[in-house]
Amino acid sequence: MNRSLSFEIFRYAAILTIVALSLVPTLWMASMAFKPIAEWSATGADLTWWPKSPTLDNFRFLFGESSSDLIVALDRTAARPILASLLSAVFGTLIAMVAGTSAAYGLSRFGSGGNLPLALIQLRIFPPMAVMIPVMIMWAFLDLIDTWYGLALVYGIVTMPFAFWLMKTFFDDMPREIEDAALVEGCSRLRVFWKITLPMMRPALASSALFVFILNWSDYLIGLLLTTRDWVTIPVYMASLSSSMTGQLYGAKAALGLIAAIPPVVLGIAIQKHLVRGLTFGALKQ
Amino acid sequence: MASIAFRNVTKRFGDTIAVNDVSFEIADNEFFCLFGPPLSGKTTILKLILGLERPDEGEVLIDGEPVNHVSPARRNVAMVFQNLALFPHMTAEENVRFPLVERKISPDEIAPRVADVVEKLHIGHILHKSPAQLSGGERQRVAIARALVRDPVAYLMDDPISALDARLREETRVELKRIQHELGRTLVYVTHDQEEAMSVADRIAVLENGVIRQIGAPSDIYDNPRSAYVAGMLGAPAMNLITLDPGRLSALDGALSLHAMTVPDGASQIGIRPEDLAVDHDVDGVRKPVQVYEVEPLGGVTVVTLQAGETSLRAMVRGQPKIEPSSQVALAVANGQACFFDSEGQAVTA
Repeated sequence: MNRSLSFEIFRYAAILTIVALSLVPTLWMASMAFKPIAEWSATGADLTWWPKSPTLDNFRFLFGESSSDLIVALDRTAARPILASLLSAVFGTLIAMVAGTSAAYGLSRFGSGGNLPLALIQLRIFPPMAVMIPVMIMWAFLDLIDTWYGLALVYGIVTMPFAFWLMKTFFDDMPREIEDAALVEGCSRLRVFWKITLPMMRPALASSALFVFILNWSDYLIGLLLTTRDWVTIPVYMASLSSSMTGQLYGAKAALGLIAAIPPVVLGIAIQKHLVRGLTFGALKQ
Repeated sequence: MASIAFRNVTKRFGDTIAVNDVSFEIADNEFFCLFGPPLSGKTTILKLILGLERPDEGEVLIDGEPVNHVSPARRNVAMVFQNLALFPHMTAEENVRFPLVERKISPDEIAPRVADVVEKLHIGHILHKSPAQLSGGERQRVAIARALVRDPVAYLMDDPISALDARLREETRVELKRIQHELGRTLVYVTHDQEEAMSVADRIAVLENGVIRQIGAPSDIYDNPRSAYVAGMLGAPAMNLITLDPGRLSALDGALSLHAMTVPDGASQIGIRPEDLAVDHDVDGVRKPVQVYEVEPLGGVTVVTLQAGETSLRAMVRGQPKIEPSSQVALAVANGQACFFDSEGQAVTA
């Protein structure tokens, strides 16, 4: 069964190539974030893989310190957009998970709701633009424009179908007998959900929440339409990082991009053990 | 203290009728076995007793009280599920305590009761483990302990030992019977294994397609099956069902003489248990011989498979007789032990 050495070499070479291709842009961004203006704006032969004189200037610039090389100063620091993104994405994810999980459980267990599952996907099939303009008008009317909670509410509604479909699959896969056993042993329906189903669903909840969070965190269009100044999100703010004198501020953008990558990565690592399925193993025979 | 009764209970799932107009009564302290092939309605009957399903028609009674609208939690019936249904996110001990904690029993009372059942099932050494870390037999015992820990009016078990290997199954079977005697509680037991049903039950209900075909003590059903179906379900190897020859004084084209027996009117089939089919390797010239197809010595008994024309028969002979495959033997009905069935498969008696 020994596969030939040349095949193994080829296999690893192929894997490394794919990994390199997908990681190079990220590495390029990370490298750029630590380059001074002369290096990140360089072209041709002056362009280098690694910063020659690494600096934190780009980060300082984002948070209000004007750097010596950069004549421009920001009228708003990145602190507020980071807060806006965090608040709206976290609360949007909470809304989507609570609503989506409840709906998924009800539909999975009691099969009621008729065509509701399909109706929920059509929310996603509809072109977002066509939905968002009316929402923008309504939100303006309700004074929800440029508020983090107005944004969170829309994020929750828009990503709820994803939470619903992910959780419904997990609930469908969960053996019914475990809930039956808890019912027989003295639990009410609601208590079964709290004491048995939700704890068993922890891995499913964690991975679905991460997925929904990343969707919310990386949104541009909704943030662009529903926020104007106080609560613009990171992607919207990033687009504004340019000046008439220097053009696109790539160094600052790279630095902000690096910061924006932190929450999903940290969350992913935190719930990594939950991402591995297998918690239900052992509950049943076989 | 609980009797369980079904009065004309019907349960449908969409177009399929899982339980069809079933009535029976299980006495207090009885070891009652529901026995039948897969999908014959056994598990649905348990769920109806538990209250996990509600009957479409008829009434379920526990202790004479109708319970159709009583929730599972308040019926006070304990259950061991077929797939055990242990809670995977709890340790074995938390699983066993669960029914008591949920019923708000005081901690002072929980400890001795858990200790008692832990000792009964010998699971003290595995209490700290999670279900995933336990072997099949250990999980089985934890699941049984969870059902035994409180004081229900009846225990229900859905084929709880089917996943165990043969030896462990026999041991657990004996253990279950002993525990049932000790507890003095009604036990409703579902199985598809005829040997298990025969060996543990006080009474057996034989099911087919959601209908109870016969209820009775194991020996009674074994000796007096009411239909060819029931006769075929109990006993291994299964009963030989042989079409009678025209004139009804013999079967197998004369190879099996029935002159010494009273064949009842209307009979079209004779049923002979393998142990009641005598195989004689002295072909005497009077009886028409049949051919031996295969011989399986099992130690104490030998199973002889015979081929008579189109019909395959099995006989069980004590010890290890000198019968060779492909040899010719003569057949007889031993001690006149046989059942007769009409063309519909219903038993007919003289």
